[in-house]
Amino acid sequence: MNLIVRITILFVLVSLIVFLIGGVISFNVMMDEVNSEQERFLIERLDRMHTRIEKRPQKDTLKWTKLMVIPLAEYQVERVTFSDTLVVHSQLDRLEPHLKLDAIRNINGTSYQIILYDIIVEADDIKEGLTESLVTMYLILLGAVLVIGFLASYYILRPFNNTLDIIKSFSLTKPDAKVQFPSSNVIEFKRLNAFLKDMTDKVKSDYQSLKEFSENASHEIQTPIAIVQSKLEVLMDGDNLSEEQIQQLSFAQNTMKRLSHLSNALSLITKIDNREFVDVANIDLSMTLEQMLEEFKELIDLKSINKNINILASITVQADRVLIELMLTNLINNAIRHNWEGGELSISLASNHIEITNTGPKLEIPEEELFHRFKKSNQSAKSMGLGLAIVKKICDFYNYEIQYKNKDDFHTIHIRF
Amino acid sequence: MGYYVCSMKLLLVEDQDELAVSIRNYFSKEGDICEVATSFSKATEKLYAFSYDVLLLDLMLPDGDGLSLLKVVKDNWSDMGVVIISAKNALNDKLHGLELGADDYLSKPFHLAELNARANAVYRRRKQEGRRTLSFKEIELTLDNHEALVHGTMLDLTRKEYELLHYFIVNQNRLLTKQAIAEHLWGDYMDTMDSFDFVYQHIKNLRKKIMKAGGNDYLKTVYGAGYKMKDE
Repeated sequence: MNLIVRITILFVLVSLIVFLIGGVISFNVMMDEVNSEQERFLIERLDRMHTRIEKRPQKDTLKWTKLMVIPLAEYQVERVTFSDTLVVHSQLDRLEPHLKLDAIRNINGTSYQIILYDIIVEADDIKEGLTESLVTMYLILLGAVLVIGFLASYYILRPFNNTLDIIKSFSLTKPDAKVQFPSSNVIEFKRLNAFLKDMTDKVKSDYQSLKEFSENASHEIQTPIAIVQSKLEVLMDGDNLSEEQIQQLSFAQNTMKRLSHLSNALSLITKIDNREFVDVANIDLSMTLEQMLEEFKELIDLKSINKNINILASITVQADRVLIELMLTNLINNAIRHNWEGGELSISLASNHIEITNTGPKLEIPEEELFHRFKKSNQSAKSMGLGLAIVKKICDFYNYEIQYKNKDDFHTIHIRF
Repeated sequence: MGYYVCSMKLLLVEDQDELAVSIRNYFSKEGDICEVATSFSKATEKLYAFSYDVLLLDLMLPDGDGLSLLKVVKDNWSDMGVVIISAKNALNDKLHGLELGADDYLSKPFHLAELNARANAVYRRRKQEGRRTLSFKEIELTLDNHEALVHGTMLDLTRKEYELLHYFIVNQNRLLTKQAIAEHLWGDYMDTMDSFDFVYQHIKNLRKKIMKAGGNDYLKTVYGAGYKMKDE
């Protein structure tokens, strides 16, 4: 629900309550006013009658429409009472509620009972009229509120909506796209835009320096490793080295390689975190997986692993090719590396999930730590413990659901796209 | 058929002196000529003054971007092979480099043997004259149709065995570590100890096939490290 609709609904509800209370109050005020007016009117007529009797004393009972004057035989104290009564209306010819004034007046020593009637303005009629006018007013107000709301959201809130659109299309990974907010002469919008501009600029420059830092860090690590590697290789290629020395050099070389891989893997994780992989393509998972298994075939055969492959044709995902290939490579590599000689490997790909199961020794780390960095079942192994952490990162990046299941010697990784 | 002799003329553009020296020495050892330029401007000077077969190009230079140097090279000497060597393992650099006309991309750190193999491949691909062959003693490789001959008899090699033999001949007389061989054959991802046994298997099969065709065993085991192809 947008802001204007919310405000409009609130306004409409509040005004409805105000109109209801107002209606009741107006009705009461009007009723009071009408009653006192009618009473005043009857009193006035009584006074006129009084004057008239003073001038022309009345001997007999006088009976006109809405008027009766009865001379009384004995003296009575003056009084005025009002009451409601039903009287046959002369024109309508039916009983209508009337206000009745019953008074005793002493005029020139004689007491007169004077009775006056006047037709009452009925409460129902007032209520009806009042309701009709209030409802009309309310409808007009409603219409006005809707029109104003629409105009407000269109004209007044337009800069705000523009700002929202710009923010929505803001992307960290497009470094050259400048964020430009439209100018507005509303102070609040001006402040909002200024704040957002500062913030997006800051975020962009932070992101850029983070990206550069991780790129440089990787470069600065790889360069010395490259130098050491080349020196070791030159050394090893030399003559007159003992077997022992060559072994030492070979070990040093392997270690340098691991360091290099470690740096690459960490830089990769940082890049995924930095959301640098934004190229999205339609990737045929089935084909990619088939090709990969072909590449791994030798390794699978070497370990005499029985494979059970079940790949549904032309399953596709929208993702970055590099990441998807990396994810599959890591998973298959893992399933082979931690497998037994002559073990089992089954891979199944269906429309919305992939499942890779391999036999292997029991995990030596808690299951929930499996996807953590540097967690590996066998601490002395040559693996770095980053493979599954990278797989997890990629899954998180694309909102894939990844699960590890274990039953006896079978370890299963299940990924739902 | 004697020793296979191939003399490439290379220009190495690399600002890390120590790495440059290692690379230059590695290439010089087998008779290739490798000159070093440590900056963008020195590289341009050399390029205008001499001619080279292959350019080994580092992307990060103190006075300019390697990619712009690549553009200059491709505009002026389009037949020069280019291998990018970079420590910036940035994928877009790689793609961009290949788009701009580089023939290959090798990320640091690399094995010198691998660099040699890549440079050789680029050199040979671009050298059009004559039959493109590589040979070592009685072993001959025809590069166009990937065949291996011993005394003229064709060997029945698997793709990987052919690649392995090719790698050995290009890097003849040099030690190839098991790691370098594994990486050459299976790429970076297969850095497991398993693949080392695997290298052994392939070498064993290759030896067998060469000897069966009447060839000598030139693949010497260097204990604890790797293998070397040499004639003794």
